[in-house]
Amino acid sequence: MLRIEHLTKVYPNGTVALKDVSFQVQDGEFLAVIGLSGSGKSTLLRCINRLIEPTSGKIFWNDVDITAASSADMRNIRRQIGFIFQQFNLVKRSTVLTNVLSGRLGYTNPWASLVNYFSRVDHQRAVKNLERLGLEDKAHVRADSLSGGQQQRVGIARALMQEPKLILADEPVASLDPVLSHSILKYLEQLNKGDKMTVLCSLHFLDLVHRYATRAIALKAGELVFEGLPVEIDDARFKEIYGKEAERVSIV
Amino acid sequence: MSRPSSKNPNLAGLLALAVPGLGHLYLGLWTRGLVIFVTTLTLAYVVSWALESFKIALLALAGVNVSWLWAPFGAFWLWNVLDAYRRAQQRAAPRLWGFLLPALIVYVIAWQVTDVNLQRLVTRFGDAKIILSAIVQPDLFARDQVSQIGGAPIWVPCSEPPQPPLETGYSGYPVRLDKSCATVGETVTIFGEGFVPGATGNLHWLSFEGANEAQIRAGGQAVAVTVDPDGRFQQSFPVPTFAGLEGLDPQNPLLHSVEARFTQEVGAYHPSENFGDLIGKISQEPPPQVLVQLGLVSADALMPTPLLGDIFETIAIGLMATLFSIVIAVPISFLGAHNLMARVPGGNAIYYAARAIFNITRSIDTLIWGIIVVIWVGLGSFAGVIALTIHSVAALAKLFSEEIEHIDEGPVEAITATGGNLLQVIRYAVFPQIVPPFLAYALLRWDINMRAATVVGFVAGGGIGFFVIETVRKGGYAQYAAALWVVAIVIMAVDYLSARWRKQILEGETRISSEPPKAWYRTFKGWAYAVGLSIAFVVSWNLAQIDLRKMFDPGPTFGKVVSDFITIDTSPPVLAAVIKQLLITVFQALLATTLGAIVAIPFSFLAARNLMSRTRLSSAIYNVARFILNFLRSIEALLYVAIFVFWVGIGPFAGMLALAVTTFALIGKLFSEAIENIDAGPLEAVTATGATRIQTIMYAVIPQIIPPWISYAIYQWDINIRIATIIGLAGGAGIGLLFINYAGQLQYHKAGTVVLAIVIVVTLMDFVSAKIRQKLV
Repeated sequence: MLRIEHLTKVYPNGTVALKDVSFQVQDGEFLAVIGLSGSGKSTLLRCINRLIEPTSGKIFWNDVDITAASSADMRNIRRQIGFIFQQFNLVKRSTVLTNVLSGRLGYTNPWASLVNYFSRVDHQRAVKNLERLGLEDKAHVRADSLSGGQQQRVGIARALMQEPKLILADEPVASLDPVLSHSILKYLEQLNKGDKMTVLCSLHFLDLVHRYATRAIALKAGELVFEGLPVEIDDARFKEIYGKEAERVSIV
Repeated sequence: MSRPSSKNPNLAGLLALAVPGLGHLYLGLWTRGLVIFVTTLTLAYVVSWALESFKIALLALAGVNVSWLWAPFGAFWLWNVLDAYRRAQQRAAPRLWGFLLPALIVYVIAWQVTDVNLQRLVTRFGDAKIILSAIVQPDLFARDQVSQIGGAPIWVPCSEPPQPPLETGYSGYPVRLDKSCATVGETVTIFGEGFVPGATGNLHWLSFEGANEAQIRAGGQAVAVTVDPDGRFQQSFPVPTFAGLEGLDPQNPLLHSVEARFTQEVGAYHPSENFGDLIGKISQEPPPQVLVQLGLVSADALMPTPLLGDIFETIAIGLMATLFSIVIAVPISFLGAHNLMARVPGGNAIYYAARAIFNITRSIDTLIWGIIVVIWVGLGSFAGVIALTIHSVAALAKLFSEEIEHIDEGPVEAITATGGNLLQVIRYAVFPQIVPPFLAYALLRWDINMRAATVVGFVAGGGIGFFVIETVRKGGYAQYAAALWVVAIVIMAVDYLSARWRKQILEGETRISSEPPKAWYRTFKGWAYAVGLSIAFVVSWNLAQIDLRKMFDPGPTFGKVVSDFITIDTSPPVLAAVIKQLLITVFQALLATTLGAIVAIPFSFLAARNLMSRTRLSSAIYNVARFILNFLRSIEALLYVAIFVFWVGIGPFAGMLALAVTTFALIGKLFSEAIENIDAGPLEAVTATGATRIQTIMYAVIPQIIPPWISYAIYQWDINIRIATIIGLAGGAGIGLLFINYAGQLQYHKAGTVVLAIVIVVTLMDFVSAKIRQKLV
């Protein structure tokens, strides 16, 4: 279970990205995080695995306080949390296989990994994950030779190498076209329903939230303005979250 | 129609009249005002400097010496007034005059300071022909020469009665004369037999006892002798005045002799001695110690040993310097990367210091470093390696740190999120991003270092540069020409390989395969490369005479030299000399750029693939044009100086011409690429309006190529100033000559002043040219 308590983040330039945000996520949930660009979605997700240091507040993951963890503990916590990025964040010049294997770094001996040594088991795991995402024939090509959708699948395969219990996905489909969006989100749905991983996913389009999420929270200017089921977001709520001028658009 | 302005045109004009640029400042045109102010100040200084130091544009008016260049200067001042006045009315003065007037002043001075003497180019063309013919026939291959000499004695003058006939044919081949005695001016005929048919030779007169000799000439020409098909020859000639130098006393005749000498080339062409010096030869040498100790050969036996020539020494210098500079530049480049240093306490200060050191070191040419390094480790290839290494460490470190600053932060975030520690983040997120560009820059640097290695021998000794100075000093132009060819071939190959490998590295392999690539040690190719590289390393290490101990055992005066260099001499006479040579250098570079660019403009059309690929003839012309550019480009300006020193004499003019040749080659390539890169869209559009071909060129082609051309020309001027700082080392005058003079006289305080001046000018030009080019593009 993930519990966020009074989380606040103020950037050095004075921007308040998160203001006293508290909520809980039960194991096995698919929680959508919605809100305008700049509302604090990315900051929230990055605070959870401390890619960004929170200013105040606490985060509990299975009753362990993440915000108080030492850097060695943090390494252990991070490897249980997969992260999927909007811009994929692959090393473009490395091969797909190397990118996927790098998801295992939290488990490997740092010195062995410096000379690019990964165990046979890790290699088998990487191949299995690539097969699962339909990329088995791309293992030895450079990451930048793949299309956007394929690159995001490599990103998912890398996260799976961590054998995570929680997946944080920051706008995983915002850089992709609508058809690909569904294919990526279906993989996340599979991980959520089949592999029983908890998923926190920030999304732009409301109909994607309706389709995939079990629950949703909404941020507006760093504050939590909604917490509930996706169906509860009606037109009034929508305008409250996205502002008066917003129009609902749907995606195929 | 001018809009009413809140600014008063008269006031603007008045201010501009009082102080150039002030009118523009008043109108709020800051940059324009500042540029006008600085231009006026610079022009005023340069005009009075030119008058005082060189009596340029001297005009004696009523007993007062003034420069007539003050007239265009005044005109520029007035233009500034007009411009300020018009701009206050929202109009503009004609821009052209704002450029033309300063350009007129600068070119008049540059022309005279550089000592341009077009007449000499023509009157001494005969000298140039000697070099040009040497270039066409470089001394690389030769045939064996067989000489045949036959001589016969003769009395000078005749006694009374004449001496009896002499025994004929005292040496070599049988030769006889028709007379036993003769006096100066008398005609004698020489006969011979048994010579190689068809051979041509000369006749020589040998004085009493053969103490002196002279070639026999008639009518101002050497008397030539040709052998008949049956091996005989016969030739009449007048007895030269030379024969009478020892007296013409009939009482005391002296025995002289006449020789016919034939030199015949026989057999097949084989590598000449010069080939051996330049490229290499197999020579009989004592065996290596190892083989003697193993008892395989006896110590006094000789065995054929390959001896590599100067070009391999040059290649080794370039290779070792590149290797060393990569090893040093990689770690220190992290100090110059802002994104890394900002995270470390005190890092910002380190960052600025590192960047400043990189830039200063980079702005001093390799050859200047060479002169300093020679004091440290002594003459030789190793000094060349160190000089090249110093310069390229700074250049590479700057490029590397910029590359580190531009990495994508995404993967860093992603690897951190998987739980990787700092080492793993660097290994998996930073390393893969920076290795390919680092390798690409290293390969580019290899190319640059190879070029520098061909000239570093001018000051450091060793390599082709040293070979060139020696042969030129001895007047061996055929050998010099051979060196130019060898350099051109090697550098063209390096240029090609470096570009090709860079492309491969940056584009990478994108082949689709489900097979993992084999590790290098499992493939034959991998082993071949590894063994080849190891051998190249060991051979280069030896050829470049790397001796690291020397670095810790500097010459006894080195400490004092360094402290002298740092405590520079700023006394007025030294400053005046430095400024004078510096201005000559800048003007030299300006004229060379102008000259090179003017010649390159028509030529670049011939070297543009898109214009020249229509017919077979035009693509042949294209290939020839490209080859000429590549060939000329592969030889450093310093190597050309010898040609022009021989042609027009030592001085700034020779240096300028040498620079102009490299400018032509470099800029010709850039210009033609600019033509190749024009956008076809406007061409189509203008043609579609019904325009003629000339109109199309005027309206669609010219506007597209002018901005890049000007930008390239300014860039080239920047580069040329750097080269011009060293052109003096080979006789091309300018600041380099001053530096080598001061260094040669052990006046290191003054040499330090020169280096500081070079750093300032090069840095300033770098900045100004970058700013101007930014505005243009």
